Amino acid sequence: MSHRALRIGHLFPDLLNLYADRGNILTLTQRLRWRGRDVIVDEITHADTPRFGAYDLVLLGGGSDREQMLVAGYLANHRTELRHAIEDGLPLLAICGGYQLLGAYYQVPGGEKIPGLELIDMVTNYSAGQPRLIGNVAILTEEAGVVIGFENHGGRTIHQGAPLGKVIHGHGNDGVTGLEGIRYRNVWGTYIHGPLLPKNPRLADAILKTMLQYAGVDDALDPLDDSMEEEARRSFVKLRMPEVEAALA
Amino acid sequence: MLAIWVGKLVAWLLRLRGHDATSFPGKIALRLSPNLLRRFGRQLRRAIIVTGTNGKTTTTSLLAAMVSQQEPIITNHKGANLIQGIVSALIRESSWTGRLHAKTAVLEVDEATFPLIADSLPVVVIVVTNVFRDQLDRYGELDTTVEKLFSAIRKTEACLVLNGDDPLCRHLGLRASRKTFYYGMDRTTAKTSARKQMRDGQFCLQCGQELSYEGFWYGQLGLYKCPACDFVRPHPEFLGTYRGRTLTFAEDQVPELELTLPVQGLYNAYNVLAAASAARVLGLWADPIHAGLAAYLPPAGRMQSFAVGVPVTLNLIKNPTGCDSVLETVTSDPRRKWVVIGINDLAADGRDVSWLWDADFEQLAEDEYLERIITSGLRAHDMALRLKYAGIQPHQIGVIEEMDDAMDKAIAEATAAQANVYVLSTYTLLHPAVQTLSEKVRSDESQGLAYRTSVS
Repeated sequence: MSHRALRIGHLFPDLLNLYADRGNILTLTQRLRWRGRDVIVDEITHADTPRFGAYDLVLLGGGSDREQMLVAGYLANHRTELRHAIEDGLPLLAICGGYQLLGAYYQVPGGEKIPGLELIDMVTNYSAGQPRLIGNVAILTEEAGVVIGFENHGGRTIHQGAPLGKVIHGHGNDGVTGLEGIRYRNVWGTYIHGPLLPKNPRLADAILKTMLQYAGVDDALDPLDDSMEEEARRSFVKLRMPEVEAALA
Repeated sequence: MLAIWVGKLVAWLLRLRGHDATSFPGKIALRLSPNLLRRFGRQLRRAIIVTGTNGKTTTTSLLAAMVSQQEPIITNHKGANLIQGIVSALIRESSWTGRLHAKTAVLEVDEATFPLIADSLPVVVIVVTNVFRDQLDRYGELDTTVEKLFSAIRKTEACLVLNGDDPLCRHLGLRASRKTFYYGMDRTTAKTSARKQMRDGQFCLQCGQELSYEGFWYGQLGLYKCPACDFVRPHPEFLGTYRGRTLTFAEDQVPELELTLPVQGLYNAYNVLAAASAARVLGLWADPIHAGLAAYLPPAGRMQSFAVGVPVTLNLIKNPTGCDSVLETVTSDPRRKWVVIGINDLAADGRDVSWLWDADFEQLAEDEYLERIITSGLRAHDMALRLKYAGIQPHQIGVIEEMDDAMDKAIAEATAAQANVYVLSTYTLLHPAVQTLSEKVRSDESQGLAYRTSVS
């Protein structure tokens, strides 16, 4: 086993923190620590220079439109570096606003386009008069089975890539195609928060495994006692999305 | 007219059957007469509106108690702050011919409802207590809340009473360009916070720079200024100094007032400061302010104490900032304690429970006097998971979905250990908890009496 501490870069926790992204960081770090691994979280604020070569995983959360626009501005100078890191396999978890930022742009109801990072061939539109897509959500993913949470977004995201999963309950990317999120190289992009990872420990571990492999350290993940996580999944689905129960089992 | 009759009839029927009539009569009446609020509004001489994220209910009740020392008023008690609640209150205070019994209304209004009703009422004063993150699924996002408040303010000619310690309120005041009064705490009482808590307005809304702080009170309330532009905390017209049980209230050219706080906690000191400031803007002197505070009865579930063999304290939690200040009060109590946390996800609670992960439950993990936590409610398991990841040992966490059973268990264990109990719950679990605990107090009292009689 390597003795090097793993390093997570949390991009702009000061700006993109709308949907409890702290819960995702906490899930990743606790699940490493409970397995005896050292992990450091670098909070990269707008005043810092991100060094994408130094992180084993990067998290980009969600913020309001205004904050998202600020982030797009800060990251514009680092776009090439981030794109190369992603092509090189840097694991990136992007949620809500962070997910939208991966594409070419996010057009808000006023017609204004918030430029994206153009990391992925993807666009997001939000036309005036369209309702926000809000509510509990469940999707079926290849790598982690049923993934559950809450979604709250105005933007409709369109891409030709592989989705994170297929919608069983809720709206997903655009409320039409039945697809949710994106999977590209080691990038996970999704509208699901709640936060995403605490109630989806299989997905959390899939991300951690990818991270360990990218870091070049022993990628064995000892099993954890996930009975509380499983119980939280079961009771939430039973209460709010009973038709998903069968898929959960 | 028909709408008012129906509304009154519905209210009477509801009360007859022991139900709460704070919203439904207005809902029915509005369906019959959508213009009802405007018609009532024309009869009022003035309306004073209290809005903001936290402290609306308490501030409104305090201010209503102060103003009503001088003249009869209409107010919507119990936090029924949507349009149907406001109309219900007006129906309750009207005659069968639709004449209002008072000319002044002191109303608590929900931030999202405010723009819809602002031009129906003769609003003279608007109090904004603060803007925090709350029930995102209803409002979209925090910036939307600020925009809603701004659009409501623009529809009135009212002057503003704002929390100057909140950068989001300050932003409202700067943009609204009208007579604005700020209240704030004395700068020497701000603390340089070490804890990492949720701060909602930490970026300058004028230029986007990160605000720099010399000190904090709680959340984003503090001594802020923008390093890049001229955005800075205003010098408050009304200055509060919080000293535990009292608040010293100061303004230029007028003797200081020593106000007795009817409820504990810094956030309640802010509510008293807001109400007293609004009262001064309305021209009230010291006597009605003191008398209003004395007459005020704390609403249910705001640090409400019950003596059920052991001391039980009940408090509402509904968003990260409010929850953090409640947790601070709980963990600063140096007595062994059991904690019950009830979380529901119904419409009035907010259907999205992700805010639990923004609240600083890590405070509990560091509390050496904490014995055990029982989570309860529809989302009891989500809460339990939050505590596990906060670093609380799984053996200290129990889940009992029925709130009454959870409280029974905690009270029984705490009684055996001579410890005390804190119950924290979201909105829809709060009133049932108040009832259950009140009944326990009553049955304890009657048993206590029987015991004493038999001994003597």
